Amino acid sequence: MVLASCKSDNATIRIKGSDTEVNLVADISESFYLAYPKLFVSISGGGSGLGIASLINGTADLANSSRRINAQELEIFNKNSILIDSFIFAQDAIAFVVSDQIDINAISLQNLKSILNGNYTNWESLIKVNRPINIYGRQSNSGTYSFIKNKLDIEFSAYAKQMNGNAQILEAIRTDNSGIGYVGAGYLMHGGTKGLKVLSIFSNNINEAVSPLDSKKIEQGLYIFQRPLYQYFRVENYMKIKPFLDFEKTATGKNIIHLSGYYPVDL
Amino acid sequence: MNTIKREFIDRLFKQIFKFTGFITIALLGGIFFMLLYNSISFFLEVKPLDFFTGSQWNPSSISSKFSIVPLAISTGLVAFGSMVIAVPLGILTAAYLSESAPKRLQLFLKPFIEMLAAIPSVAIGFLGIVLLGPALAHIFGIQNGLNALNGSILLALMSLPTIITISEDAINAVPKSHREASLALGATKWETLFKVTIPAALPGLIAAVLLGLGRALGETMTVLMATGNASATPTGFLDSIRTITATIAIEMGEVPYQTTHYFALFAIAAVLFLHTFVINLIGEYFANRLRKFHA
Repeated sequence: MVLASCKSDNATIRIKGSDTEVNLVADISESFYLAYPKLFVSISGGGSGLGIASLINGTADLANSSRRINAQELEIFNKNSILIDSFIFAQDAIAFVVSDQIDINAISLQNLKSILNGNYTNWESLIKVNRPINIYGRQSNSGTYSFIKNKLDIEFSAYAKQMNGNAQILEAIRTDNSGIGYVGAGYLMHGGTKGLKVLSIFSNNINEAVSPLDSKKIEQGLYIFQRPLYQYFRVENYMKIKPFLDFEKTATGKNIIHLSGYYPVDL
Repeated sequence: MNTIKREFIDRLFKQIFKFTGFITIALLGGIFFMLLYNSISFFLEVKPLDFFTGSQWNPSSISSKFSIVPLAISTGLVAFGSMVIAVPLGILTAAYLSESAPKRLQLFLKPFIEMLAAIPSVAIGFLGIVLLGPALAHIFGIQNGLNALNGSILLALMSLPTIITISEDAINAVPKSHREASLALGATKWETLFKVTIPAALPGLIAAVLLGLGRALGETMTVLMATGNASATPTGFLDSIRTITATIAIEMGEVPYQTTHYFALFAIAAVLFLHTFVINLIGEYFANRLRKFHA
């Protein structure tokens, strides 16, 4: 839902950026509109990079970004002596999913690495099933792709299939009893987990495997593949966007975040 | 209207038409120049030998690998497969339509075949994911059907209208006297078709195949959706592949501006462009001969 307006600029908050965040922020803004009918919000996607670029050239007041701002971008802000600040309004978790016909419930980071970088090509390496491993991932332009790659510090196997989106990955794994893939955890709540199994993950420092569907653990920051969702803004504009940021912190805002499949941040 | 005015309008329109004609050539030249210019920037940074002989395309790794080989093999494989399916099917359909189909059926079939060309490629790609993929997985007993064969079948579907339409024109253009002579010598209808009509129409059929091939090589959305996009060098039709077009479509969106990776995408685009350009040129050459034959 895009609530555009013809009112003066002061009464419109323009939000641009990450495609991951666009639906969530649109949902929040619909409720926001009920609470603050005088303040208009316009929202568009286009990717994290586009959002930050729009913040630089002044066509956005708030830039959604599923990654931290990078050094080059920061340099441009410094060069134009624009002060910026960020706000983490929610968290996203990436879940690893296999077919429910594979007898595995939890996996260690080390094994996950070996699967994704192509060292293990058969489930035999982990469980007593002789079946080739099929990796379903995102395309290399996806934020999720680079997040997993950087977090595990691996190169993906060249045999990994690159799918168009979360839906395609889940669809493929449902019919493939040898598949493993990764999707946004929020997507699983909407799409259902029929025929699928979400893997819990043993990270290095804790003995217990953590599931991405366990929102308590996510709030405590115990799941390894969780990432903050940022909103960047110019410090000079803070008063203009403050009502919206405040609204995201309210119980209503947190509830929307939770229902949309993301995790609220405890501040 | 006086003569001077009329001549002025004539000249004006002549210039306007000339201008519009040259715009097309300028556009083609501009695109070619842009691809070439950026490719040169690429080859200043990566040795052409590595580009044409390497075995890996992995620009986002630390030691970036830019080799067109796996992508070119993928593109070639899927296009070859589509022609294996589409050429016999297309030419036989065209032969049936022009030689033995009743007039009524012909009028009924032709619009349907041409309508095949109007299906958006994204819709065909979708078909590949939800229908053809699972079916192939089931038939071949493999884990999933997102592979070169899937792409080949879909591309065959997409190049059929081109192949059928041009083949039919080619077969129709064979003078009636050829067939009459053959039949008069006692050849059956089928002997006439395979030994006289089709060989006589060969240049036109070659044009049909090449223009269909050009279509298959350049197609993006369908192969992007239906072939799995694994960048490993494929070893057969049941492997996932990643074509040149799909690679450009996937990576262009997020590539940092004017980096080696950015230029690399132009380089593979230039290679693809050169191939489709030459194939279409040869195809058009034969198609033009066919048109002259017609007149």
